[in-house]
Amino acid sequence: MLILYIDFKSAASYLALEPTLELAQESEITIDWRPFSVRPFSVPVEQDEETVGERHRRVRAAAQRDVHLHYAAVQGRNMHFADTPAGSDAALAALAVIEGDPVPFIRAAFAAYWSKQADLADEAVVEILLRSVGIDRPDWQKAKAEMASIRSKAEESGIFEAPSYLIADQLFLGREHLPWIRSLIAAEQGD
Amino acid sequence: MNALESDAPLIVYVDIKSPYAFAAIRPTLALEKSLGMRFDWRPLTLDIPSYLGSARKKEGKVVESTRSTSQWSWVKYAYRDARRYAERQGLMLKGTEKIWDSSIPNIGILWVMQTARDRLGDYFEAVYPPFWRRELDIEDMAVVEACLQKAGIDSSGFAEFALGEGRAEHDKLQPQLHPSGIYGVPTYVIDGTILFGREHLPYVRWHLQGREGPAPDIAYEIDDHKAQPC
Repeated sequence: MLILYIDFKSAASYLALEPTLELAQESEITIDWRPFSVRPFSVPVEQDEETVGERHRRVRAAAQRDVHLHYAAVQGRNMHFADTPAGSDAALAALAVIEGDPVPFIRAAFAAYWSKQADLADEAVVEILLRSVGIDRPDWQKAKAEMASIRSKAEESGIFEAPSYLIADQLFLGREHLPWIRSLIAAEQGD
Repeated sequence: MNALESDAPLIVYVDIKSPYAFAAIRPTLALEKSLGMRFDWRPLTLDIPSYLGSARKKEGKVVESTRSTSQWSWVKYAYRDARRYAERQGLMLKGTEKIWDSSIPNIGILWVMQTARDRLGDYFEAVYPPFWRRELDIEDMAVVEACLQKAGIDSSGFAEFALGEGRAEHDKLQPQLHPSGIYGVPTYVIDGTILFGREHLPYVRWHLQGREGPAPDIAYEIDDHKAQPC
């Protein structure tokens, strides 16, 4: 079992989706998808008088955005960073209580967020997405409580960002670890 | 020296005090060797307190800190992550007890590039592993000179270089980095594209080998046979 924490508003989570699904398919491992809301991403506007730290954060954010766009192109994926990023908590709450295969919803939610700038904090928007993949609207109160519970346990496990992979008692942040994760799965399967 | 320009096919920015650069050295040297190329290695002396807060440890305990909870989470994870990959390479990585001024050994990179290019890997081997075993005071000129000698590099004149021409070159380069879009190490500059982190090595290899076939995604390579000491 591979536990994977994602957030729809995390570009790195979006770009991790298909490579992780490929890994799961080839290794026949189940993924336990869990929601973990991260801070919205934005590139700070350049100020006339920046501190070194402010300039560092701005340059880093711009570089991260450019690298995400670079690899989105490598993956053949449409990706657009909105000037004012929307939220994702309603979609994450829905993910917390989906029974059965959540992947169609996950794909739909990521695509809606990163290509159409859908507001995934809006329950009505999320209900349309759920219906598009044949899933009924959740009990929102229960979904939010479940999401909060998952977050609390995640933080106890040391999770602080997304995508975060948990396997064999190891925490990996980012899809760049997939080679090692693949080797751990193989070891667990006795290859 | 222009931050983004070089006659070499790839510019590599590193800092001796960066655990991520430490984990990237052998894989990057291995890539350079396997391609039969000469990369342009340069120092980027990180100003860590300006973006990650500062902290000082004594006997394993934090005795001073200006870091937020989220900054500590990042720092702790970064060390754990770099450590496990370093250990895969047979290297020990102990967390540092303070934020070091790494400018002298970083100026050493400029010295080696100018005087003994073929021994750069030996210099990295003489500095990085012992520093991360907490065996080197890299702020001591004599210690860095000893590392040069251990790597088979003539160190006569290095102190003068580190205080004069080398220091000037180092100090002239650093303010160019942020405006050029470079903020951390390891950073790879390839045909004007800036890539931070060794997870880009598969892409860098693909590019330098002629961009044949589909471009690879990011990945930390774990083929330990390719990352032996040079």
